[in-house]
Amino acid sequence: MRAFVVAVALCLVASPFFTGPVAGQQPLFAGKTVTIIVGYNPGGGYDLVARLIARYLPKYLPGNPAVVVQNMPGANSIIAANHVYTVAKPDGLTIGAFNRNLILGQLVKAPGIRFDMTKFAWVGSPASETTVLTIRNDLPYRAATDLLKADPAVIVGATGPGASTYDFPLLLKALAKFNLRIISGYPSSADIMLAVERKEVDGRAGSYSSTKPFIDRGLVRSIVRGRASVPDIAQLPMDEDLVPDARSKAVMRLRSSPEIIGRPFVAPPGTPEEYIRAYWDAFTKVAQDKEFLVDADKAGFEINYVRGDQALQISRDVLGAAPDIVKVFTQFFSFN
Amino acid sequence: MLETFLQALLEVLRWNASSFMLIGVVVGFWVGLLPGIGGATTLALMLPFVYRMAPVQAFAFLLGMHSVVSTTGEITSILFGIPGEATTVATILDGHAMAKKGQAGRALGASLTSSLIGAIVGAAALALAIPIVRPLVLMFGSPEFFMLSIVGIAFIASLSGRGPRGMVRGFLTGCLGLLLAAVGQDPQVGVQRYTLQQLYLWNGLDLVPVLVGFFAIPEIIDLAVRGTAIAADAPLGRLSQVRDGVIDAFRHIWLVIRCSLIGTYIGIIPGVGGGVAQWIAYAHAVQSAKTPAERDGFGKGDVRGVLGPGAAVNSKEGGALIPTIAFGVPGSSAMAILLGGFFVVGLVPGPDMLTKHLDVTMSMVWTIVVANIITVVASFVFLNRLARLTNIRGALLIPFLALLTFLGAYTSNNSLNDIIVALVFGGLGYLMVRYRWPRAPLVLGLVLGEVAERYLWISVARYGSAWLARPIVVLLILLVIGVIGSSLRQQGTLPKRQGAVGAT
Repeated sequence: MRAFVVAVALCLVASPFFTGPVAGQQPLFAGKTVTIIVGYNPGGGYDLVARLIARYLPKYLPGNPAVVVQNMPGANSIIAANHVYTVAKPDGLTIGAFNRNLILGQLVKAPGIRFDMTKFAWVGSPASETTVLTIRNDLPYRAATDLLKADPAVIVGATGPGASTYDFPLLLKALAKFNLRIISGYPSSADIMLAVERKEVDGRAGSYSSTKPFIDRGLVRSIVRGRASVPDIAQLPMDEDLVPDARSKAVMRLRSSPEIIGRPFVAPPGTPEEYIRAYWDAFTKVAQDKEFLVDADKAGFEINYVRGDQALQISRDVLGAAPDIVKVFTQFFSFN
Repeated sequence: MLETFLQALLEVLRWNASSFMLIGVVVGFWVGLLPGIGGATTLALMLPFVYRMAPVQAFAFLLGMHSVVSTTGEITSILFGIPGEATTVATILDGHAMAKKGQAGRALGASLTSSLIGAIVGAAALALAIPIVRPLVLMFGSPEFFMLSIVGIAFIASLSGRGPRGMVRGFLTGCLGLLLAAVGQDPQVGVQRYTLQQLYLWNGLDLVPVLVGFFAIPEIIDLAVRGTAIAADAPLGRLSQVRDGVIDAFRHIWLVIRCSLIGTYIGIIPGVGGGVAQWIAYAHAVQSAKTPAERDGFGKGDVRGVLGPGAAVNSKEGGALIPTIAFGVPGSSAMAILLGGFFVVGLVPGPDMLTKHLDVTMSMVWTIVVANIITVVASFVFLNRLARLTNIRGALLIPFLALLTFLGAYTSNNSLNDIIVALVFGGLGYLMVRYRWPRAPLVLGLVLGEVAERYLWISVARYGSAWLARPIVVLLILLVIGVIGSSLRQQGTLPKRQGAVGAT
């Protein structure tokens, strides 16, 4: 018996030496663990997407690694992004899932940011996020242009600056001259919908997926959408179509650019190319997986994988905006 | 409707639903006992498991888990003075004081019984509210939310010590709590307040490390200084103690039911938050004291201080489900995550839940009741052994308690700053206990400050000053006057005029 125990112990001690030489032929991720660092607490949209991806990713990464999700909340995911940028090892085993607006935060030089979004190794974004302005169905305004001469002003509930509930109507009011009154400070989108229901406010801007149940049951109807879109509401006028001048259009486009890469996933700068290509490949396949699409639809995500290289290009375009556009944009946008 | 009601019970008791519920209850049981990791977080972690479940099973699992978390959280609060959950902090004040007097068994018996009654009242409210839920919720707008938070803040008067000096101290700590609530980015324009250039503070102080440090660390220091077991030299707990606790709950049955209703009502109101119900219920229990001597007994181990919060914390879940189901608007952070569960199993919260999917709604009512019965019965089996933990020598317990405390604080953001916050508030808490400053008003100010600020802003932005004339607002203003008045009257020795000056 004792001899057996010793033999087992010896095998365990020696095992790393035996696996060493074989590793070269093994798939990239064999026996490894991938960590997805989410910049928010469990339960929110970013966390749900990451957890959903984490369930399907092992199937499509070479070597079928374990994928775990770690939450690092705080400062709207600046803390997590700083960590992935400066602390995490670029060994291909750590990826981060952050706030889509970090790129705008970098553009307006928000305090506390220690990363450059264009230097991350971009994995890409598995889903986009459509913003839509909806108003209560019993209001007489049907078309977007009706809101120009709305009387009294249409009251829009919002959470606060830096969120689409606030920024989207703010640009419509300031640049497209919609007659809106924005009341901000609601704790969440759901609370605004309740305020709509009790007629404290008349409408809300926000993600289409979270508004859809309320549109379906006839409480609100959609009026204007942002640039990112889904087939359901493609026929709605886009905010950029409602302003005449090129500068206003550019400012609106700047606001909506991050929504096309609505759920950004990035790896630390310097992550080896072979790992990033493996992720591109795996994300592409996950985004076509039938079961994944069913689950994602249930959770209300608009699956639309934008590959890392394209996502990086969008980020570069945002940061390369002309100074006069950025100046106007900064007047309206504050990263929160 | 009655038929659906009974059918739903059978549905919940079917083997597949009930076995999912049992798994949920077991998970919830441990989550509750361990400090820090909370019901909402656990719900989020469990959510991916329900993708393939039928609605009744999914909610048996999720709600089964969530509805027992507070019940077992109180066990940790009573035995060790460490909040098992952010929602079971108020129980510490009297529950842990009882444990120190060697009455842990009685406190546990009382807490479990009141929890069960609270859960049943909350579930019954959910069932009864179904026909009238929409007007009930829509009646309350932002101005009413603001006034409700002021009613809550007014309870600081009864959570303060007696006499002018006690009152002044209570109001000062309450104000400190309100100020601490201002830490972080303000919700309207995004200005950073008191963030000390720390990213960690952008989203404000996290309640979990604050509460864990504020209450647990002074107890640990106290245990170390005394050098005895938690229950010092009190005799070993006997079985009859637990029975005494159960009897206590029925002796004060009206208090338990009133506190259950308070909890339900606070649960219904979205955005006021689960942390508030326990404190209002505790303050209400304090108000039930009839003589100044009785009043002084609170905080030193009055069983009513255990019964009130116990009932409210559990009844609040039934209440919080009401807006979640009827409007798709979560009544608490846990409900926000449960809302995700609705979509995952293919249900859309809203009016349909009260007609087409009434069976699912009813099954939720039963899940809350059945899960709590299972938990309470299971807990009673272990209760005496648990109570004996208070007779273990302090030196043996302290390392374990310290570990639990810091782990609990750390789990909220996985950040070292959590530990620092817990230590800072632990130090503050120790000084406050040592120099007899009341801690409860600070917590009440902290949990209500944000709500009050937010809804005052919205009310003024939306209605100007016209909100003051809304009928429910006027009623609530009268209620505030009533709450402060009755606290002052109860103070007995305090001349009225002086108190009124302090209250403004």
